[in-house]
Amino acid sequence: MIQLIGGEMPEYAEELPSAGGPLLRHLAGRVPTGSRILLAGPHDPELVAALAPGREVTCLLRSHPDALAQEHRAVTGVRILCGTLPKITDTDRYDAVLALDGTTRLCSPEGPQLDWLDAVRALKRVLRPGGTLLLTVENELGVHRLVDPGTPTAARTGDAWRPLGEFGDAPGRPDRLAAALGAEGLPVAGLAAAWPLPGRPTLLVTPETLRYGPVDALGALAAGAVATAYASDRVLSDPRRLAGAAVRRGLGAELAPAWLAVAHRAPAGTGSVTLPAVLHAGERAVAELVSTPDGAWLRRTVRVLDDRPAPPDQPLPPGRLLEELLLTAALRHELPELRRLLTGWMVALPSAAAGNVLVDGDRFALLDPGAPDCPDALTRFARILATGGYTHPWQAVTEVTRLTAVLAGAAGRDEVPDPADPDAAEPAADGLREHEEQLRALRRRLDNAEARSGFFEHELAKRDADLGRARMQIAAFSGGLGYRAAKVGLALARKARKRLRNGTEDAP
Amino acid sequence: MHHGNHFYGHAHVLAEYCGLDPADPPRIDGYLQHGWNVADGLGGGTPYAPGLPIFVWSERTRRRAWSMGRPLATVIGSPFLYLMRSIPAESTKRDGTIWYPFHGWEGQHVSGDHQRLVDEIVATEAGPITFCLYWQEYRDDRVRAFYEQAGRVICHGYRGYMRMQTDPRFLHNQLAELRSHRRVASNRLSSAVMYGAAAGCEPAVYGDPMRLASEDLATAERVRREWPELQGVAPDPATARATAMAELGDGYLASPAELRALLGWTAAHRAASTAREAA
Repeated sequence: MIQLIGGEMPEYAEELPSAGGPLLRHLAGRVPTGSRILLAGPHDPELVAALAPGREVTCLLRSHPDALAQEHRAVTGVRILCGTLPKITDTDRYDAVLALDGTTRLCSPEGPQLDWLDAVRALKRVLRPGGTLLLTVENELGVHRLVDPGTPTAARTGDAWRPLGEFGDAPGRPDRLAAALGAEGLPVAGLAAAWPLPGRPTLLVTPETLRYGPVDALGALAAGAVATAYASDRVLSDPRRLAGAAVRRGLGAELAPAWLAVAHRAPAGTGSVTLPAVLHAGERAVAELVSTPDGAWLRRTVRVLDDRPAPPDQPLPPGRLLEELLLTAALRHELPELRRLLTGWMVALPSAAAGNVLVDGDRFALLDPGAPDCPDALTRFARILATGGYTHPWQAVTEVTRLTAVLAGAAGRDEVPDPADPDAAEPAADGLREHEEQLRALRRRLDNAEARSGFFEHELAKRDADLGRARMQIAAFSGGLGYRAAKVGLALARKARKRLRNGTEDAP
Repeated sequence: MHHGNHFYGHAHVLAEYCGLDPADPPRIDGYLQHGWNVADGLGGGTPYAPGLPIFVWSERTRRRAWSMGRPLATVIGSPFLYLMRSIPAESTKRDGTIWYPFHGWEGQHVSGDHQRLVDEIVATEAGPITFCLYWQEYRDDRVRAFYEQAGRVICHGYRGYMRMQTDPRFLHNQLAELRSHRRVASNRLSSAVMYGAAAGCEPAVYGDPMRLASEDLATAERVRREWPELQGVAPDPATARATAMAELGDGYLASPAELRALLGWTAAHRAASTAREAA
């Protein structure tokens, strides 16, 4: 049943994807059964369906078509409020409010337009004391914004009637977010930075872990998360590189696309939903990384996403990410180190992508054992090297196939890998900066090719002249009498020249 | 590419290392550095077709080439080191000094007093002396006579010109000679001194450096300033050898497969070139 609370949007259906994905489904599932839950804003139908059993779920949706679609799904235990957030009253109080899509899609064009803080206050009002708030806050300076070729303050979607972008009042840092919620009587029990996109995270890492945890592995996980999300998208620059570098260089939490906060309405809450140090949704499972007393990290599967048996818990190998080590050695032109890494990789884990291998001295180990095999790993790395905007020791080799052959040789392999099928290339983000670099490189190659063509023409003219002279000599010397006369004449001329030279050299 | 790739049989040595026919090295996609130099790896005055790699000996040369507007320089190490790797040293007795008087190349002439140089060498070297002359001077009876009075005079061969008369065993001859001497010396720091140090000789650079006709002496002066550890009658052999090995690209040699791919010598690449030529 849909309850129209006022201010609903009768024609408009949300254009952008709603919040969801395996990681958010897993988190939402941690809310205890028997709870009364408000799902504020658009959430993925799968998330709604996963949450409903044993719980009393109320969806707040501003779009009437979306509300009708949800009603059509007839999920038992799900009630729908359709309208704008300011219309919601506190006659109903919930044990948990989940706003995993953030607060920007809670108001309709009708009535007051709540900024972030007012929206949080409105959500708090419907939370019972001690109740739990799960809130996603988009980072307007997150990696996803930094690589976005569009401007958020001039968005053209049907719900961008008041696009604020970084001019809104949402906190801009995780510590300020915690402080702001605390000041509103919503003390934060857990906070995590989220990648790759605010509404669809596949990686959550707490700021403490980003500061003191295994940053190389975390950088690799963040890079991997954005790689999947941005496949084939147009971007300003490679988000993979930016996300990885931000985490490694200590700006992971500040540049993450979003933060997810778990807060309780004072007084103290029950702490039913806790955020582990790292929560990662891979292809097959959702896993946590937990630190062990000896300072190592353990990967523990917490939810399996397919029918296969759960990947066993195992320690996270120490070390740095192979891809970054390879790129560093390439940029430093350290060929011996580059060859050592390539050889070690191809001996130990030839079918693992360079972005999924951790290197500790001479040990090569998988970062994510659940990641699919990558038989053309060397070609993929060659493509990164050739098109990613990196200087490397083999600048003259511009074709990926040939660069792959060079890398294979540098890895100690004797055979040249089969030329890669260009259609089989994994989709990668389509970066303007990388385009610009490739354009520059192509211009340089064209200039060089033109200059070379001129150079060869000049050489050819010289050789033509040589050939002409040789032909004339052959013609002159091939006759009987003429040949002999010419021969004598030439011998005389040579003798005279030699005498003249010797005379010059002997002079004091 | 440029006929300089065949000088001293460099292309032939690399072809053999790559498992190809050393008698007929395939065309190289670029320029081989054919002697130690303090510029971009190419010999002075080598006409350069833009956009092609220069296969240089050392990382230091690559950096210098980049700074000189040659970003495609690629480090592969010197062919001499490849040769050394494929012909292991036998434990023969080393004796005396092999001395390389500074020479000019085709069309260049050295001016200086050969006799005074010979006298200085004889006064300095304790053991027997082998003088190795460049073919140009070796064929000049007058110049050769200066050295023949003081020791054995040899020539490693003709480095070749326009791919004609190249002695593909030039480096082999040189390596064998170097390995039979205790010292290597010259009046200028050059490839030969580096090779000698690499082959286990104690290097030395002393004597009248002579002068090439119309030579810019600033470069020679710079060489003396930048590589002092190789100058003098008896520089410290270990330090000198470390520098020489770095200049020759020790540690940077490519595997045969890597080198084939870099030089454009893979079967696939050569087949594609042949197909292009046929078309």
